[in-house]
Amino acid sequence: MNRALLKVSLACLAMFVLLLLNVNYVQAFEANTLADKPGNVRVFDQQFSYQRGAIIADGDGNDLKIAESRLVKGTGNYQRYYPYGKVYAPVTGFDSIYGSSGIEETENSLLAGTSSQLAVHNFTALLTGKQKQGATVELTISPAAQEAAYKALETNTGGHNAGVVAINPSTGAILALAGYPTFNPNELTSLDGTTVDRNDKKLLSDPSQPLLNRATQVTLPPGSTFKIVTSSAAFSTGKVSGTTSTIPAPTVLTLPNGHLLHNDDDESCGDGNPQIIEAFYLSCDTAFGGLGMKVTAPVLRQYSSLFGMNRPLSIPIPVVPSVLPEGAGWTDQSLTAYTAIGQYNDAVTPLQEAMFAATVADHGKLMQPYLVQQVVGPGLSVIQSAKPAPMTGTGISARVAGDVQSMMYQVTHNPAGTAYATAGPQVTGGITIDGKTGTAQNGVNNTGLNDAVFTCFVPGTGGGASPIAVGVMVEGGGYGADAAAPIAVAVIKAYLAAHPS
Amino acid sequence: MSLAADAGAPVPMPRGRRRAELLMLVFALVVVLFAYAAVGLGLKGRFPPGLPVYVIVYAVLVLAAHAAIRRFAPYADPLLLPLAALLNGLGIVMLYRLQESGHNGNPGQPVALMSSTSTEFQLIYTGIGIVCMVVLLILVSEVRVLQRYTYTLGALGLVLLAIPAVLPNSLSYVNGAKIWIIIGKFSIQPGEFARLALAVFFAGYLVAKRDVLALAGRRVLGIDLPRARDLGPVLIAWAASMLILIFETDIGTSALLFGLFIAMLYIATQRTSWLLIGLGLFLFGTFITSTFVPHVAERFTVWLHPFAGSNATGIAYQPVQALEGMAFGGLFGTGLGHGQPYFTPLVQSDFIFSAFGEELGLVGVMALLLVFGLLVQRGLRAAVTVKDPFSKLLIGGLSFVLALQVFVIVGGVSGLIPLTGVTTPFLSEGGSSLVASWILIGLLIRVSDSARKPAPQPIQDEGMTQVVRAA
Repeated sequence: MNRALLKVSLACLAMFVLLLLNVNYVQAFEANTLADKPGNVRVFDQQFSYQRGAIIADGDGNDLKIAESRLVKGTGNYQRYYPYGKVYAPVTGFDSIYGSSGIEETENSLLAGTSSQLAVHNFTALLTGKQKQGATVELTISPAAQEAAYKALETNTGGHNAGVVAINPSTGAILALAGYPTFNPNELTSLDGTTVDRNDKKLLSDPSQPLLNRATQVTLPPGSTFKIVTSSAAFSTGKVSGTTSTIPAPTVLTLPNGHLLHNDDDESCGDGNPQIIEAFYLSCDTAFGGLGMKVTAPVLRQYSSLFGMNRPLSIPIPVVPSVLPEGAGWTDQSLTAYTAIGQYNDAVTPLQEAMFAATVADHGKLMQPYLVQQVVGPGLSVIQSAKPAPMTGTGISARVAGDVQSMMYQVTHNPAGTAYATAGPQVTGGITIDGKTGTAQNGVNNTGLNDAVFTCFVPGTGGGASPIAVGVMVEGGGYGADAAAPIAVAVIKAYLAAHPS
Repeated sequence: MSLAADAGAPVPMPRGRRRAELLMLVFALVVVLFAYAAVGLGLKGRFPPGLPVYVIVYAVLVLAAHAAIRRFAPYADPLLLPLAALLNGLGIVMLYRLQESGHNGNPGQPVALMSSTSTEFQLIYTGIGIVCMVVLLILVSEVRVLQRYTYTLGALGLVLLAIPAVLPNSLSYVNGAKIWIIIGKFSIQPGEFARLALAVFFAGYLVAKRDVLALAGRRVLGIDLPRARDLGPVLIAWAASMLILIFETDIGTSALLFGLFIAMLYIATQRTSWLLIGLGLFLFGTFITSTFVPHVAERFTVWLHPFAGSNATGIAYQPVQALEGMAFGGLFGTGLGHGQPYFTPLVQSDFIFSAFGEELGLVGVMALLLVFGLLVQRGLRAAVTVKDPFSKLLIGGLSFVLALQVFVIVGGVSGLIPLTGVTTPFLSEGGSSLVASWILIGLLIRVSDSARKPAPQPIQDEGMTQVVRAA
């Protein structure tokens, strides 16, 4: 019987070996995967027992803490605190006991210290008996630009929904990302479930939708700002050879389907056959409607993609795609005329508006927008650092960008330009801003309020890089030049004041 | 006197190694003491108030067991008692820890199915278990005498198994398994004792019939199949375990019983064919059962897809909590009292291993598994050494089933195999399992004592007896 007993012993040995391997798998190999499972109550509870990493706005080099965890006296628990309330809400999002959004959500594993990138640090902390701590996330956000943006939205929009994004065109670093209306994330940081629940319900049922990120989650028609895309396509494909080439611009354009396309207020456009640059700074719809038909819808779509449209973005907070969708009959010439002036099926986010300007500003190159400059571990070691890179599949030629830039210059510098009064040198205090206005009509038979849009940038001086590009969209704000441009100017002024070059 | 000493000199006396046992026992007690203190420090930052009482009572119990072994089984394997004492002590410590932290960490509310006196009861059960072990050592001087009660114990085992099935649910059903006998505030799990009784029956029966069962029938694919008429007992054991599975919805007990029988059949006959037939029958039976017993089918879903859909908050909540707890413990654990094992439902019984994983970490559970492994190895070693075939078979089978039990429950808790509710020997809350485990240790001690006992000195020369007679 001993021979059989020996085999039984081997079976027992095999069972114990399997168990030992499996506990190693669960507790060592799979530990991080299991820790990241949604609803892991231990990880959830633990996150309040040690300090979550801070979020810092480092765009001005002054390390401004915009989210931090503070010890609640007498409990041993940490509570999240946002010193600037609503101002940075669209960027940071919130971190509550029930969930999170924004950077708090996308960088959670680093902030919470559960990321595998922090494993070595956590291990040494364990051995040395130090408390576990999350990593600090440093953002590209410029506090000067962000605060100016929020203040401008709050005071200048007359209560309309609006979003602003500012980008550094040469890197893609996002300098400001603000929205209105928004929420105060401090309302959701209580460690008491009922309080969070009550405030959350209040925010969710608020008709103004404060939790909606107006800068990244809402798309509106770009209106005339889309003429940047239309003219880029026309220049690139040779439909128009240069800024001084003339294009037909009747007061009323009869579309193939019989509809009439009017210029704003039925104004005429120059002599009816102006140079494209004049049609651009006057923003003649008939000129660009006609040009769009010549360029054709598929080419417009192709160029919209070269400006970064038609794809989801993550910066790393998610951004709804700005689109020029292919739908049934979308190549119909009459509709293409509307697409070309940003009035048919195209819809973009304020971020995309900033990307239009940034592409032109950076000589045709579009850099991938990003918010996280670097992540610093608890031991002050940099564990992640942004590497600016052009967005794949985007960009137009430097020549075309130059042509578009000279047209955008006229918009703000030619006394007849649409934004001369609100973004011209006399109001900017000498800062050169090149821009394009948009006033998108809305509603059935355009009975709704117009959406005000403005996209602009400060060109680089002396061959230098452009410091900032801004996109603004005010839902139902009226004229782009009146409602949107001043917001962009305020952001630019504040940013340049903080960054004298 | 001098004559006797001279006669004994050439034959070295095998050592009982009782002093080694005592030393290791003290070490186990110190580990338990430290663990108990760590729980108090971890939970409340001070030594638990009951520390001296608990530890002294426990020390007295295991030292009494040691004394009994010195008296009644002086040649027993010195590792068995310290290993069991270590496991049992850590089990009590973990129960105390769960009792003190309460449901979801609220000390006011006890963890489901635990009470504020769970630890005391576990200590009392430990006492009963040790007393049973000592009584066994006193009454059973040689394990082979049990062979006389082969059929009595077989019948007793079957009756114990069947009682919960015939009792009304109110007296037998707790948490999805109809395996209890509930008398007022007390409940016993007769299956734990039935397993021991049936092990004796199997051993007695197989020792008697092993020559017949080993006869080869037809040879198929290089394997000697047994004769068809010899299949009877296997089929009966199989049918019994399937009935348990169906009527008591208890895969665990059924798997352990059948595993016990098949292992003993294999040890007795050395026929691989029995092994294959047994395994085939069991898998077939389980598969068929799973098609109409939802309880069984669900276990497979939970095992394969714990995180799919809403499983993690629904049917797989318990194993997911256990896995996340163990993962949270990581390499070194949170430390006793610092984790949250109470989130796992029934953590004090079926899932106690996950609590150790969370608080003692990978190193802790590996140590526990090695302790179990060592216990199994000592049992198998005793089985190999002992000469009597009945003892060999009984202890070989019981050691194997101890390994199988640990495999089934630890494998189930850590997601290696589908979960089946069996107790973790010595660790889980519950008197039946604990008492049965101590009885098993008693059997191991008895057999290892028989195996290591020096052979009785043969009477060496006639003359000497005459000398004595003359005096």
